[in-house]
Amino acid sequence: MDRIIVCVKPVPDPKAWERLRLDPVTKTLIREGIPSVINPLDKHALEAALTIKDAQAAEVVIMSMAPPASQPVLREALALGGDRAVLLSDKVFAGSDTLATSRILAAGIRRLGSFDLICCGNFTLDGSTAQVPSQLAELLGIPNIMHVSRMELGEGKRLMVTQKIEQGYVRLEAEPPLLLSFTKEANKPRFSSFLEILAAEKRELAIWTNAELNLAEGSIGLKGSPTQMADLLVRQKGRQGLRLEGTPEEMAHQLADKIHQLGLI
Amino acid sequence: MEKPQIWVFMEQRRGVLHEVGLELLGKARELAEASGGRVAAVLLGANVAVLTDRVIASGADLVLVAEHPALEPYRLLPYTAVLAQACREYQPSILLFGATAMGMELAPRLAARLHTGLSAHCIDLQLDGEGHLLQMVPGWGGGVVATIKCPVHRPQMATVMPGVMKKQETSQRYGEVIHLTIPEDLDVSGPRVLEVYREEPQAKPLEKAEVVVAGGVGIGGKEGWQLLEELAGLLGGAVGATRPPVDEGWALEEQMIGASGKTVRPRLYIGVGISGMSHHLVGMDGSEMVVAVNSDPKAPIFEVADIAVVGDYREIIPPLAAEVRKRLKGGDAP
Amino acid sequence: MDFKLSEREELLRKATGELAESEITPKIDAMEETGEFPEDLLKPMAKMGITGLIASPEYGGVGLGYLARTIVLEELSRVSAAVSMGMQVHHMAIAALNDFGTGDQKKKYIPPLARGETMGCVAVTEPSGGSDVLGMQSTGELKGDKWILNGRKCFITNSHTSDYWLVIARTGEGPKGLSAFIVDKTAPGAKTGRVEHKFGLRGSNTGELVLDNCELPKENILGQEGGGLSVTLKTVSESGRTGMAAVALGILQACYEEAGKFASERVLYGKPIAALQAISFYMAEIYTELDICRLLCYRASWMKDQNLRFDTESAMAKSYTCEAAARCAKKAIEIHGAYGIMKEYKVQRLLRDAMVTISAGGTGEIGKVVLGRAALAPFQKKG
Repeated sequence: MDRIIVCVKPVPDPKAWERLRLDPVTKTLIREGIPSVINPLDKHALEAALTIKDAQAAEVVIMSMAPPASQPVLREALALGGDRAVLLSDKVFAGSDTLATSRILAAGIRRLGSFDLICCGNFTLDGSTAQVPSQLAELLGIPNIMHVSRMELGEGKRLMVTQKIEQGYVRLEAEPPLLLSFTKEANKPRFSSFLEILAAEKRELAIWTNAELNLAEGSIGLKGSPTQMADLLVRQKGRQGLRLEGTPEEMAHQLADKIHQLGLI
Repeated sequence: MEKPQIWVFMEQRRGVLHEVGLELLGKARELAEASGGRVAAVLLGANVAVLTDRVIASGADLVLVAEHPALEPYRLLPYTAVLAQACREYQPSILLFGATAMGMELAPRLAARLHTGLSAHCIDLQLDGEGHLLQMVPGWGGGVVATIKCPVHRPQMATVMPGVMKKQETSQRYGEVIHLTIPEDLDVSGPRVLEVYREEPQAKPLEKAEVVVAGGVGIGGKEGWQLLEELAGLLGGAVGATRPPVDEGWALEEQMIGASGKTVRPRLYIGVGISGMSHHLVGMDGSEMVVAVNSDPKAPIFEVADIAVVGDYREIIPPLAAEVRKRLKGGDAP
Repeated sequence: MDFKLSEREELLRKATGELAESEITPKIDAMEETGEFPEDLLKPMAKMGITGLIASPEYGGVGLGYLARTIVLEELSRVSAAVSMGMQVHHMAIAALNDFGTGDQKKKYIPPLARGETMGCVAVTEPSGGSDVLGMQSTGELKGDKWILNGRKCFITNSHTSDYWLVIARTGEGPKGLSAFIVDKTAPGAKTGRVEHKFGLRGSNTGELVLDNCELPKENILGQEGGGLSVTLKTVSESGRTGMAAVALGILQACYEEAGKFASERVLYGKPIAALQAISFYMAEIYTELDICRLLCYRASWMKDQNLRFDTESAMAKSYTCEAAARCAKKAIEIHGAYGIMKEYKVQRLLRDAMVTISAGGTGEIGKVVLGRAALAPFQKKG
């Protein structure tokens, strides 16, 4: 492989989630003082790319759409082994839903030039929609496979991919160009090594704005987002304390309903 | 106000319908009745015409069927192509998918192809006065609920987790079946399916389990403990304990949850026969949903429970396990 | 004065912290039980670059400085002071080879140490004393083209896990009569003796080394004959004290985190105990001590990286931080109430670990001797 792109999203550190507060007026999250980390599943995506790089010498490019303050998170990705990083950042990108975000990432990727593989995390901790991987692939006109629980290099440029579905797996084979989104089953992300941290200091972190991407205003940001947020309600953090009533069998049945609603059965 | 055409994607694998499609038909029926709209189901596969009766009984006024060898097994690009063509031809107002492995891959791709909006994991759907679909989406681990709208673009797409909506099944329903024409040049490119196989979920270590069933001194003995293990096994979860069961030998030290043991943050925590001392609670109060079963109505654990079940666990856990077993089977049966 | 850490230092800390939490945490119970150093940790630590941190890239190391080392040792110690201690002493062996080794010695001994293939130890202390270095009884005699060493070294960290021992022995008279040697444990007459069972820093291997007519090739003398005191003083006061201080600093950080977490969760009188003024005062004290010690430790290491003389600063960092860690561990235990004395809770280990650091790598009293001299130096009268 020649080039693998890893999409990385900086998200609020899950260890600090308890401290996140919602601004009641703007209905946005107050992120001050909450450190950002690489979205955990993106680390599995990066690990997959680095595993290929270890075996075959490919260029691993980290790409992210995020505010400029996210540079340390991209540096972290470089310190894990990425060769270069591109941060797509512009005020006009703000407010993008998943489709608008995918347009921006697609434009960034097209500007890079050719690629063989794009690796993403299956979903992010904050948005959790899991929509960007398929949408990005669609806009780039390449196939994608979600829920990747295993990836192996096959003959030539072939990839043997296992996809996790309900109560089982699907084994697939595919060739580049391809987009894969990874689950945490896929691998164990490596730690940064100190030598890699030092080497990464010399690696390029470029910031591209819309001046470089030239996306029409109507296709990005709030204006370019088909979905809009109409309202945001903060749910009471306290436990609901719903007391079930009825005979033991009736209560067991109601309980089974609740478990079903969680999607666990 | 536009009369919405409400479409539901009927997921199926190997001729077995996924329950979520039927659940979404129930919701679509409800929305249709409130707005005077029609419900259509979209069914893709090889020999799926046999499933149309059940689909109609579950609420579809119309079933759009696309049958083609290239559509079995499911592959992303052919399915996207067929659905995109159907949407362009029939212009539905709303299109719903289950938030399943298939739905989460297919719905976004289709939304991007149609340049329309999609919201994920909706916990409720409503129609506003103008025929817009209001999509309630949880965020921040359930701490907030956002209402999403797709005011301009069509169809308005949403995915919904299985188990959130309720099926409706009536024996007397009349519905139309239309067979969609599959284009000659159907896009069959993309990854090739080598094998689809079942696998029992691996037992996960306590800290990584999505479901934890924990027992306390109220279990009373090793026999009672087996009920918990059985329930945990059915739910693909792990068994936890407080200190007394460990001391009594019903559970192992490494299963202990609490300040001096493990901390767990499962999606579901079921505490059985546990009173709820603070040093246990700190080990599990990050759980998404807390269910407590205890015969003592004043047990402190009820203060931190989402669902309180006051009663003898020996009368509650066995029927619960039976219900779970029933639903697990039902999920795969036609 | 710029007190900010660089992005590099933050990344080093982060990487070390992730490794410690993921790979070291599961081994703590076994360490507490057996006291044994988990040697399978050497591989992941070597892969990251912890074992070769201060070794030159020429010899397979990373070539980072002492501030980076302090941050890494601190972060390791936050999870396990015992593992950090093992690494600290391992670095001392590398430092001594760096400072006093010949080209051939460095080429032979540093790469295996840098790559974590084996550990290193520094053997100064004897039953006759550690503080009283000149009183040592071990001897070294040149017979033909071999050095013959005789003696016993005790309380040596990494004694049983090291392939290479840096041994100091008396080869002549007076202060210029000590010499340093590189002992390969496979040398004839080199033996490990008893293993010590400490009440703290369990998992840091401590034991006895026995030299019974141990034969070394002539080339295995480290530095000049008679230069052993310089080797000892430089190694102990530079890498030794900054390393010990970093280990204690990590313990202090852990005390702060454990106490803060417990105080915010434990509910009494209807509120978390953190709402009680007394508890918040203890936390204020721990918080301040933590900052003081961090500044002392980082300053001493920074000075080394600037090639400034820093033996007073390192003595201050070591003696103050180890004492502060013990004080704060005691407070943290008291904040935990009865839970603080239960073995299941982490905080009692922090006090035991801190107490051991006070006497290790130079007693507090020796530290004070050095500081007393420095403190009075400006006031010395002539004559």
